[in-house]
Amino acid sequence: MRVHLVLATALAQGDEVPQGPGFLDRALQALVDGIQFGAIIAITAVGLSLIFGTTHLINFAHGELVTIGAVVAFFLNVGAAGPGWHLIPSAAVAIVIGALLGGLIERGMWRPLRKRGVGLINLFIITIGLSLLLRHIVLVFFGTRPQSYREYDIQQALDLGPIGITPRDLIIIALSVLVLLGVAFLLQRTRTGTAIRALSSNPDLAEASGIDVNRVVLIVWVLGGGLAALGGVFYGLTEIITWDMGFRLLLLMFAGIILGGLGSAYGAMVGSFVIGIVAQMSSLWFPIDLQNAWALLALIVVLLIRPQGILGQRERVG
Amino acid sequence: MDELDEPALLVAERIFAGYVRGVDVLAGCGLLLNEGELVGVIGPNGAGKSTLVKAMFGLLRVRTGRVTFRGRDVTNEPAHKLVAKGIGYVPQRQNVFPTLTVEENLRMGTYLQPKEFTRRAEAVQELFPVLAQRRNQKASSMSGGERQMLSMGRALMMEPDVLLLDEPSAGLSPRFQDQVFERVREINATGVAILMVEQNARRCLQICDRGYVLDQGTNAYTGTGLELLHDEKVIELYLGTLARAR
Ligand SMILES: Nc1ncnc2c1ncn2[C@@H]1O[C@H](COP(=O)(O)OP(=O)(O)O)[C@@H](O)[C@H]1O
Ligand SMILES: [Mg+2]
Repeated sequence: MRVHLVLATALAQGDEVPQGPGFLDRALQALVDGIQFGAIIAITAVGLSLIFGTTHLINFAHGELVTIGAVVAFFLNVGAAGPGWHLIPSAAVAIVIGALLGGLIERGMWRPLRKRGVGLINLFIITIGLSLLLRHIVLVFFGTRPQSYREYDIQQALDLGPIGITPRDLIIIALSVLVLLGVAFLLQRTRTGTAIRALSSNPDLAEASGIDVNRVVLIVWVLGGGLAALGGVFYGLTEIITWDMGFRLLLLMFAGIILGGLGSAYGAMVGSFVIGIVAQMSSLWFPIDLQNAWALLALIVVLLIRPQGILGQRERVG
Repeated sequence: MDELDEPALLVAERIFAGYVRGVDVLAGCGLLLNEGELVGVIGPNGAGKSTLVKAMFGLLRVRTGRVTFRGRDVTNEPAHKLVAKGIGYVPQRQNVFPTLTVEENLRMGTYLQPKEFTRRAEAVQELFPVLAQRRNQKASSMSGGERQMLSMGRALMMEPDVLLLDEPSAGLSPRFQDQVFERVREINATGVAILMVEQNARRCLQICDRGYVLDQGTNAYTGTGLELLHDEKVIELYLGTLARAR
């Protein structure tokens, strides 16, 4: 997708592009686009992965948290009835709302349902229903027309040798990587993060060690909701904002998580980058409409070679 | 049940509990643990020993009955609150966080008192030197015996008043079993009251102050360790068969 944008920019600049850039240049460009796309998938997928790791819930409604983040920022930024803020404060508020929504869903729905002993399959079906419900609520307010944010929608690409990258995209990649490093720091170096990993590792023992499991799960949902919203804003910035954008991203999030190794947050990050890069690189040879199909094919191939995923651990016996 | 003058530290009375609706695995059993005591619970496989410990520790809902700690009703209090009150628990299976390092496992032991970590970790590593040697390794890389040490160490990080041990010697080599029983006595000698469920009934009764024999969710026999060891009925029904089964 980015390739075409850059081509268009080049055309607009009046450069001569009779054949377009050479293959290597296009490949490099696709790689950069893939890293960016992968970073966005990773930001959203890491929360989904942590939720799965701590509660074993497959949250089919995670895509809607992405959409809602993008749409809330859109409303604050350019919405007809909105305040018309700059995108940065709009995004900040969207993240807070995403975090609150994640926390609210956990506190108001999943915790009571877990407490009543509702089975995981039933909970999964409920997330499908929730996804549908939230998506259509967004549809009612947002409509079917794709939209974009006011700032940063058209930018001059920086010319970095063969790669054209807009400052916007550069910042999105840099911020995404920073956020992912922040999540890794949280998980690895803080007491709460270690408790999240402990809970994923052995829930009963976590409780038996004095960890308030419900509180940790709430933190995970707040974190996951906030990250999903941020990913939504980034996704809306690089592509376009639509009422079902998160839903379309969901399959790729799942693919990233499974590819990286189910239950490992770092696996989700690595897997998402692989998925993003494969999706973008595939458009070098194949129609862009098929890029998700190629990403999923990559998933199948990796799982055939390494069934536990890239960073996943084989089920231990004994 | 024993009626002692001093109030007992931890008491479970007429507990009914189970996993499936309408099926009581525990059918009115109970026990009591005094300050500083080492008490064993033995009984055939499936008697409900683990279930009783889980029910006392808030990991399984008590349907009827009462659990008290230091005279206060703690029935169905969540486990993490009981940890804060001074009860530690070492489960029979899955007793470590496999994906965490040994040190992180211990760190989770002081989740509620993070400031105490360094000092307590030193004491625990003195008791279990292997934990210091393997500090930065994943717990999943440890043998069953080492995991048992790690799990006991984790539980001791809170300096509990009561330690609930569910079959600490199960599945261990004889050398490790000896070590485990030795450590249990050492821990008990520091004043920690211990409730120990054991398959290894003879060894357990030999070191326990008192013992309970649990069968089909009810108390079958109760007495001092020595009484039970020499009780004809207990030998015939539990020690003999268990000894043969080993
Ligand atoms: N998680 C569980 N779900 C359902 N039934 C269980 C579970 N754990 C134990 N049981 C059943 O409860 C009974 C008592 O088990 P348990 O307390 O583990 O016995 P013990 O520890 O004395 O060997 C057994 O019949 C066992 O099958
Ligand atoms: Mg048992």
